[in-house]
Amino acid sequence: MKRSWKTWARAVAAGSVGLALLAACSGNSGGGSDSGDGQVTLKINFWGDFGLDELKSRYEADNPNVKISLNTGEYNAQHEDLQKKLIAGSGAPDIAAIDEGFVVQFRGQADKFVNLLDKGAGQYESKYLPWKWKQTLTPDGKAQIGLGTDVGGLAMCYRTDLFKAAGLPTDRDQVSALWPTWDQFIAVGQQYKAKSGKKFIDSATNIFNPVLGQQPVGFFDESETLKMDGGPKAAFDVAAKMIGADLSANLTAFSPEWNSGFVKGNFAVLACPAWMQGHIKNTAPTTQGKWDVAAIPGGGGNWGGSFLTIPKQGKNVDEAYKFLEWLVQPEQQIEIFKKVGNLPSQPALYQDPAIKDFTNPFFSNAPVGQIFSKTAENLTPQYLGKKNGPTRVAVENVINRLATGNLKGKPDQAWTEAIKEAEKAAKS
Amino acid sequence: MSTTRAVPAASRPGRPADATAPVRRPPDRAGTWRSRLYRFDVRYVPYLLIAPFFLLFAVFGLFPIVFNGVVALRNWRLDDPTLTGWAGFANFARLLDDGDFWNALGNTFGIFVLSTVPQLLLALIVASLLNRKLRAQTWFRVGVLLPYITPVTASTLIFTVVFARDTGVANWVLSLLGVGETAPIDWRSTKWASWIAIATMVNWKWIGYNALLYLAAMQSIPRDVYEAAAVDGAGPWRQLWRITVPMIRPVVIFTVVLSTIGGLQLFTEPMLFDANPALAQGGDDGQWQTIAQLIYKVGWRDLNLGYAAAMSWALFLIILIVAAVNALITNRLGGGKR
Repeated sequence: MKRSWKTWARAVAAGSVGLALLAACSGNSGGGSDSGDGQVTLKINFWGDFGLDELKSRYEADNPNVKISLNTGEYNAQHEDLQKKLIAGSGAPDIAAIDEGFVVQFRGQADKFVNLLDKGAGQYESKYLPWKWKQTLTPDGKAQIGLGTDVGGLAMCYRTDLFKAAGLPTDRDQVSALWPTWDQFIAVGQQYKAKSGKKFIDSATNIFNPVLGQQPVGFFDESETLKMDGGPKAAFDVAAKMIGADLSANLTAFSPEWNSGFVKGNFAVLACPAWMQGHIKNTAPTTQGKWDVAAIPGGGGNWGGSFLTIPKQGKNVDEAYKFLEWLVQPEQQIEIFKKVGNLPSQPALYQDPAIKDFTNPFFSNAPVGQIFSKTAENLTPQYLGKKNGPTRVAVENVINRLATGNLKGKPDQAWTEAIKEAEKAAKS
Repeated sequence: MSTTRAVPAASRPGRPADATAPVRRPPDRAGTWRSRLYRFDVRYVPYLLIAPFFLLFAVFGLFPIVFNGVVALRNWRLDDPTLTGWAGFANFARLLDDGDFWNALGNTFGIFVLSTVPQLLLALIVASLLNRKLRAQTWFRVGVLLPYITPVTASTLIFTVVFARDTGVANWVLSLLGVGETAPIDWRSTKWASWIAIATMVNWKWIGYNALLYLAAMQSIPRDVYEAAAVDGAGPWRQLWRITVPMIRPVVIFTVVLSTIGGLQLFTEPMLFDANPALAQGGDDGQWQTIAQLIYKVGWRDLNLGYAAAMSWALFLIILIVAAVNALITNRLGGGKR
């Protein structure tokens, strides 16, 4: 008995000596990210390509005390990550991009962001499309959490070489005339498939999203009630018809296989918000000159568009605002447009010759400046609810299951499932 | 203890041979100090030397397990900091009728069976092949270990290309065999296809590792046992099952337990197999979402840490039970008495 007690006592003694040793080793780590000499690092989180690579170098050259670190990531993950860091109270980037699909969720937490009106951003209100300005403004109008970067707009990108091979017209006006409505668009697709034996569109979800963007009401109305029978149903039906007619290459959007589909010409058309141009160019540089841009069936509409915000927890809020302010100036916005196609959300720029007369050689010299600014000006924006992001993912999943998974060939059952999944996502 | 202490002491000059009787030691100050140091050395230094392991285990092993248990009994939502306090067993009760959890459990076991069973059988066969006299023996032995040292993310990313629907090597090979020529297998669309794809990745990685463990054990089996069996007319297959497996039973049990633990915690492969890994959903309908993935999703995407902790505890208990059952069965199969 006594002996075993002794053994334990020894073990404890030995353990505590070890602890002391460890503690001695671990002194004085940590420390701040500011290295005291006035050097500031601004971290910016976004997804895809915001066209910032060259602007970053230029800003750094003009402001030697500022380093900018660009962190691109996956679309949903970046928003979820920001939400996490806002609640945790630390770890958020100095500047965080937010897509319009998540804007209501973050606008509801305006106290966690720097109110840009306090920084003097009010002077830019008149420069922005009114609805774009309002999207990040709290309902009481007292706090502005972000400044708009781009608007999506909507057009239809198509492959002239593949159209030609299938005996379809290649001129952008003639192509636009082929499909005033989505039903006519499907008919063209069937024609294309019959001639070429290839699939017409990349993915049914990339039809669902633009059609939904054309509806007056999206997933949620302004009282945050899920309205599946309105816009979502209309968009789902078009997507289901596409799948039913076997026109989709069924490549999950933004997956590696989808990207290789661009290079291989697995599909001939792609719904194109302005920001999609940069993605096509980055993904399939070899298809230069083989694309063109026509009008989208069903008239204008919007898909996507972003804002840059400054989370309050950052240490370099002032430097972050300086950079943000610099970034939304016409000169920089035009440069981004030319680089990756993101259309600025300041209508005065649409009259600027740099945008108005801009033709994109990648898209057969299509006057993309005019095409996209026209759709952006005529836009009536949709209200996107707090749970818009997860609800969209849930319905996209069901569409993918209808295309290739366990709901194949069962559009009615798929719609029931879509309602169920959307309700679940809206509640989560 | 006392003998090991006595031996070096006796050999030291100027000290009485009977060092185990410290009472009769001369009252010499330096000597006392020395002998104290010496006693400290033999008595306590071994504990000091093993202490780092237990400290690290306590910090990174024991503490998280216990803390996880505490969290599991609480409400802790990152997206709703106001909801806090003890939840009792509410998180565990919610598990019982959570369709996602049972779906993930089914997937985990499906992939586990598809990966562990062929993995260990093939490892056994590979090991018994490597145990023969081969040319370039070392080359082969190192070769089977290559998959194991490949980083799992790298190999999984390669496999996702192999299992691509339209352009993958897997479908190309199958089409040569006449399978899915017109409609290639969509490896991500159904449960079975995705399970097989993921199990293949796991098997590829671990067969060589287990084979080497088996090989090491096999080399301690005396040759004459095989010679005697061969004289009695037992072929290679019979020798494998009647001699080799029973004689390396401890190692087999070890690998079964290890691969049970690994298989039930499967995370990286299903995660990266997804078309959009950031969503952690394991397919559009969760066809291959494993429990580890679901825990990640509930904790870090749905931000419900309490519920995620309850899930990890459930997984912990499930692994304990399954590993115990597996060890028992293997023991019986190998001819053990217990």
